[in-house]
Amino acid sequence: MRAAILTRLRLDATQGAMRWTRLLLAAPVLLGSAGCVQVAAPDKPIEINLNINIRQEVVVRLQQDVKELIDKNPGVF
Amino acid sequence: MNRRLKLILSAAIVVAATTAGAGAAYAMLQGDAAASLRSGGQAGEQADGYLGVVGSGSADVRSQVDAVNIKRRAYYTDLAAKRGAKIEEVAATTACELFRTKVAPGQYYRLPDGVWRQRDSAPIPLPGYCG
Repeated sequence: MRAAILTRLRLDATQGAMRWTRLLLAAPVLLGSAGCVQVAAPDKPIEINLNINIRQEVVVRLQQDVKELIDKNPGVF
Repeated sequence: MNRRLKLILSAAIVVAATTAGAGAAYAMLQGDAAASLRSGGQAGEQADGYLGVVGSGSADVRSQVDAVNIKRRAYYTDLAAKRGAKIEEVAATTACELFRTKVAPGQYYRLPDGVWRQRDSAPIPLPGYCG
């Protein structure tokens, strides 16, 4: 009985350790993806979807901001 | 100051100078990237708010177009967040404005029907949502 409990405890401990190891291994990946803005070109081109579903009032609301955006960034637009 | 420190410092200065130079050159090259791609006929404006390569396009043109589009995407994302709009909405609104003001006669554009057309002297027939 006692031996069984001990084995179980040991098993729990090993599993716990494994879980921690996994977490520790994942941590840099998670931190890496959260901590930096990716500026490299994506390996896939930006997908083009010309099926635009947009309402005119949205366009009207955004128009002034968009005009400013274009004027301020002549290289991009 | 020991020799090693001097070496490290001079290396740092060289690296800094090179990056600054390259940065300036890059900025100059990118100064009117979108406009020159349009006027060269290699790329045109699309209704989705991004530049598109007209025809097959060289690897160089494709990479220039990608570079412009990555920046556009960043600006659209930023503005969309500020105004509580979707990125696609900001992008499409921008396309309306670019069709109106930036695509000159002889340059290419692509409406939601997906066909590349060359603008003539008349204004581009805008999609209904452009207002």
